[in-house]
Amino acid sequence: MHPFTYIRVSDTREALNAGRRGGRYIAGGTTLVDLMRETVERPEALVDISGLPLDEVTVTERGGLRIGALVTMSEAAAHRKVRTLFPVISEALELSASAQLRNMATIGGNIMQRTRCTYFRDVTADCNRREPGSGCAALEGVNRTHAILGTSDACVATHPSDVAVAFAALEAQVRLLGPDGERQVPFADFLLRPGSTPNREQALRKGELITAVEIPALPRPLKSGYLKVRDRQSYEFALTSAAVALHVRGGLIREARVAAGGVGTVPWKLPAVERHLVGERPSDSLWTAAAAKAAEGARPLQHNRFKVELLQRTVERQLRIVGGTK
Amino acid sequence: MSPQPQAAVGAPLSRVDGRLKVTGKAQYAAEFDVDGAVHAVIVDASIGRGRITGIDTGAAEAQPGVLRVIHHGNAPKLPYRDNAGSNNPPGRRQRVFQDDRVLFHGQPVAVVVATTLEAAQHGASLVKVEYDAERPSTDLHDAERDKPTNYARGDAEAGLRDAPVRLDLTYQLARNHHNPMEPHATIARWDGDKLTVWDKTQWVMGTHDELAAVFGLPAESVRVINPFVGGGFGSGLRCWPHSVVAALAARETKRPVKLVLSRKQMYFGTGFRPSYEYRLRLGSDGRGRLTAAIHDIDAETSSYETFTESVMGAGQMLYSMPNVSQAYRTVPLDVNTPIWMRGPGFASASFVIESAMDELAHKLGVDPIELRRRNEPNEDESSNLPFSTRRLRECYTVGAREFGWQRRSARPRSRREGDWLIGLGMAAGVYDPGRYPAQARARLDADGTAVVEAATSDMGPGTYTSQTQVAADALGLTMRTVTFRLGDSLYPRTSPHGGSATMASVGTAVHDACNQVRQQAIELAVEDRESPLYGVKADDVVVRGGRLHVQANPARGETYRTLLARNDRTHLEAGGSYTGPPSPERHSYHAYNATFAEVAVDATLGLVRVRRMLGVYDAGRIISPKLADSQAIGGIVGGIGTALLEHTATDHRDGRIVNANLADYLVPVNADVPEVRAIYLDGEDNDGNALGVKGLGEVVQVGVAAAIGNAVFNATGRRVRELPITAEALL
Repeated sequence: MHPFTYIRVSDTREALNAGRRGGRYIAGGTTLVDLMRETVERPEALVDISGLPLDEVTVTERGGLRIGALVTMSEAAAHRKVRTLFPVISEALELSASAQLRNMATIGGNIMQRTRCTYFRDVTADCNRREPGSGCAALEGVNRTHAILGTSDACVATHPSDVAVAFAALEAQVRLLGPDGERQVPFADFLLRPGSTPNREQALRKGELITAVEIPALPRPLKSGYLKVRDRQSYEFALTSAAVALHVRGGLIREARVAAGGVGTVPWKLPAVERHLVGERPSDSLWTAAAAKAAEGARPLQHNRFKVELLQRTVERQLRIVGGTK
Repeated sequence: MSPQPQAAVGAPLSRVDGRLKVTGKAQYAAEFDVDGAVHAVIVDASIGRGRITGIDTGAAEAQPGVLRVIHHGNAPKLPYRDNAGSNNPPGRRQRVFQDDRVLFHGQPVAVVVATTLEAAQHGASLVKVEYDAERPSTDLHDAERDKPTNYARGDAEAGLRDAPVRLDLTYQLARNHHNPMEPHATIARWDGDKLTVWDKTQWVMGTHDELAAVFGLPAESVRVINPFVGGGFGSGLRCWPHSVVAALAARETKRPVKLVLSRKQMYFGTGFRPSYEYRLRLGSDGRGRLTAAIHDIDAETSSYETFTESVMGAGQMLYSMPNVSQAYRTVPLDVNTPIWMRGPGFASASFVIESAMDELAHKLGVDPIELRRRNEPNEDESSNLPFSTRRLRECYTVGAREFGWQRRSARPRSRREGDWLIGLGMAAGVYDPGRYPAQARARLDADGTAVVEAATSDMGPGTYTSQTQVAADALGLTMRTVTFRLGDSLYPRTSPHGGSATMASVGTAVHDACNQVRQQAIELAVEDRESPLYGVKADDVVVRGGRLHVQANPARGETYRTLLARNDRTHLEAGGSYTGPPSPERHSYHAYNATFAEVAVDATLGLVRVRRMLGVYDAGRIISPKLADSQAIGGIVGGIGTALLEHTATDHRDGRIVNANLADYLVPVNADVPEVRAIYLDGEDNDGNALGVKGLGEVVQVGVAAAIGNAVFNATGRRVRELPITAEALL
């Protein structure tokens, strides 16, 4: 670990000042400290924001949810409103990490977490994300767990978060506070695909602070849920996952929100699947036909070809779990 | 000598060191508070093969707290004497900082010593090493093989050619790492020319002998201490290079040095279960009676040492057949040297043989248990020796009954629950337990308590407890009044704590020492005019709860305390020993099991979930049933890992292990471990050793992976011949 300075801040103004001077925000530290130990991250200054008042879950006027950036994963998962309004969020959180990590890690930190790509986490390996221009060792390396969607020749690493998949599906907004005031960024624009600059991972300006993630209201009744497919039954990142929310009224699907995890360089929204569902009557054949569109545009690598098929089956399964029949 | 009453042996006791462990008072290697200790962190080679062309230590040495950076350019030449009798495989062992060669990715190329751990870690990250890199050879399937070790009986080629039923199957077994909870660690301190080392090891004498050999020291100048081991599974059976690095760093800096391997360094700083490619050709008659087997076994080893393990044994004696041929070839690769891992050799071979037997059963339409019964030998056909005990048939019967085997449908894919296909599978297991020379010392004090010592180890099976049980009964004392000590090279010498050998070997020595002490006391009493036992035949006296008495007349006797006090004896003492099995052997001595698995396989997602497991063990006398259950559960969990999760993945371009951490190298977690049950056939193996034990720690993992694989076939109709069995194989 490289030497660093550490300060605790007690209000957002103080935080932004420190952030503007190049300080890295730290809350639960469950990703950042790990990466500092591996010297993948070498911040010179840490700004501990865990004392800021960003730790509440509130229902917005229109019936959406605002989850403060410092709400822990376990608090968010257990929150009554989260559980009743958007089970997909609770389920995604509870299938993540371990109880101990969920008690430390925050929602803001969760969507900021960096890839689990083994080459990214090993400073002696080539990685464009860590060291622009050094190359991507995963492209021709051991890449079973890597992405098949949203990849580039510069990077094929997956975004590891589960709850971000739920946020992507639900078209959340990320609320940011910066030196120039507040702004709101659609989740789809917040996490960046690697392109030729995989080192740029979020649409954050220097010193900007995530204050909350906001879930827009959706018509009720809404059924939602998260399915995570992995080798081990607990404490593992997804091979594939699917977040699904469906609003069914009068026997027809009126709204559909679907995204996949474990397969994309960012949480992968599936608009083609959603379009196929809307206006249709739930049926097993509908799920199959819709899920067939889940892997459109996939570019598999040597060891992860199975993810193309597995992704479609995962989406199909979760459509059925949420939407019923069989 | 009259037989002692059995009180402690066979009782389901909790660990005598349990309180120390759960209160954090048990001291593991890195936890000893050695005055003035500084910290060392190893710099690992970042190429897979080649030469070091330059090392820049300037930035590291400039860091506050950094005392020294040692590497091949400034390290003293070390004697590295031969170490006969060690666990070093044939070859030329890795010599730390003695030259510029890099033999594998991760090899130590330098060590940074600093006053704090943080400074040492930071310093290590600042050492710049330049290399002349070559492309390493790390792929088992793409490298030259050594000359084979062969075994043959009959004419296997002809037997196979003439067999009405033939199978030709090739299996791939992944490399597995032990991943004990406790990382390997060494603290080294020099007092003049004397070296004291606190080292995580399964063999304090092994570390002792190796350090004496490497540094050219007389045996009495080295002491190795390690009272507690936080898991080993075999990783501690050898003295690894980092222990030498710690001792070298301590000598160079003239300070005690603590060196703890990181989790990542455990993947190349210690050994592993080698990967295998194993082709098995089986021939049988129409009823499933085996006629021939040809085994072609390729296994990885390092370029500098030839590691072999008992992968040929099971194929020679598990089933009756006239014709067997085996060729076992090591494949030298640019990797570090493998080491034994739980159920070594047998666990790997059993996956192959037992999967193939399941295929044969399916092909012939014979129940897998019935097929095995038809091939049960009457003697060990590899040695023509009678079995000491072999109760596999009973294992099958008990296991089938208790597991509900009759509910299994022979037709795959015939049981479904929602999205899940359910299947049952079984496998037989065998292990050749070690019996090695061992010594022990017992001392009975005037206060009626006893201390028993042996330089053995307790990596988890509960050696402290089980040896105390043996000692307590032999001395006629209660568990509370006997203390068993281990993990110090000053204690009587034993062989490695591994290979399921400890109870048969150390236990026999402990038994011997304690019997002698008891006998001394009895003789003292019967010859002492003032003893109530005066004149009684020594053979008629037993000891119970610290009191000697006539066996047939418990009222006539006295306590050890009274006896020793009256005779002005501060203590009685004796050394015991076990010299190993008879030579030549008179029996084939093996432990056996039948292991059963029920799995659920997601029919569309390919996920395998184990639902139930049962192991039935023919392991001789069970000294400590509660500890035995821990062993069985642990072995089965290990087998689930091998079957479904564990796989050390190497990037063959540069020899880098890409999953050298516990997030990417998957071991089973609680959620993966279902209902696990163990049953031990009652009885003992009196031809094997005085205690009647056969050793349990290894056999419990043998056959587990095959039982699971066979259950996966029964569930899905899909035969997976590559471990681990992952979703992509079943999609």
